[in-house]
Amino acid sequence: MAYSEKVVDHYNNPRNVGSFAKDTPGVGTGLVGAPECGDVMKLQIKVNLETGVIEDAKFKTFGCGSAIASSSLATEWLKGKTVGEAAKIKNTDIVNELKLPPVKIHCSVLAEDAIKAALADYKTRQAAEPAVAK
Amino acid sequence: MPEESARLARLRDRLQDAILSNVDEAFLNGNLERRLPHNLNISFAYVEGESVLMGLNKECALSSGSACTSSTLEPSYVIAALGASAELAHSSIRFSLHRFNTEEEVDWVGRRTIEVIKRLREMSPLYELAKEGVDLKSIHWKAD
Repeated sequence: MAYSEKVVDHYNNPRNVGSFAKDTPGVGTGLVGAPECGDVMKLQIKVNLETGVIEDAKFKTFGCGSAIASSSLATEWLKGKTVGEAAKIKNTDIVNELKLPPVKIHCSVLAEDAIKAALADYKTRQAAEPAVAK
Repeated sequence: MPEESARLARLRDRLQDAILSNVDEAFLNGNLERRLPHNLNISFAYVEGESVLMGLNKECALSSGSACTSSTLEPSYVIAALGASAELAHSSIRFSLHRFNTEEEVDWVGRRTIEVIKRLREMSPLYELAKEGVDLKSIHWKAD
């Protein structure tokens, strides 16, 4: 497997590895994939409740180098975006940026799923906690 | 030939002991007695095989049961047939020793393997969940 320089860089220096406490106000958590498939991504966003801007993002990934790179890149892109802008990130953007070969496209799909799951969780939690939401 | 087999088996056991005594939840694949002297196959829970290779591939030649590198996503059928779960089959690494390997090389590969596994577990959501006491089987995973 030949990896692009960007995949190798994200693998060697992953951005934003870590976790937020799930119950922190403004945090949305996505957990996608399955251990028996060889890929699991946990992606979290922390949204500023005043502005709706994603202030921070973190990930942890079980998977190959391309899966680690896809989720690491996703956290970089999420920071500074509004919730609405974040929903527009597409797996094809990740494929192009990381130059993923066809057998690794599923890694980018999983990263997009993780972003969507984190956004959905954030929205669900905001709806459930109207006192905290603005 | 018998001498060489014994030498390889000694080196293999040295590597096996170094890894298994320093990494928790690492599982030996295959039969303990009926095995080739130069072969060592270990599954490292919570880390995916290809990502382990990526951490070591500039330094030594290993292989993974993970078929992540092929066009299918199936893990090693050999490791699965030996009794490993699908999760652990995705996490298997094969170490093969050869005629010219030395004790220093084996020690070095052992040390580097331990480092890579620790680093990958720090970024593994499965390791984090397991450490929190969550039973991974209790989670409803959405398989593709």
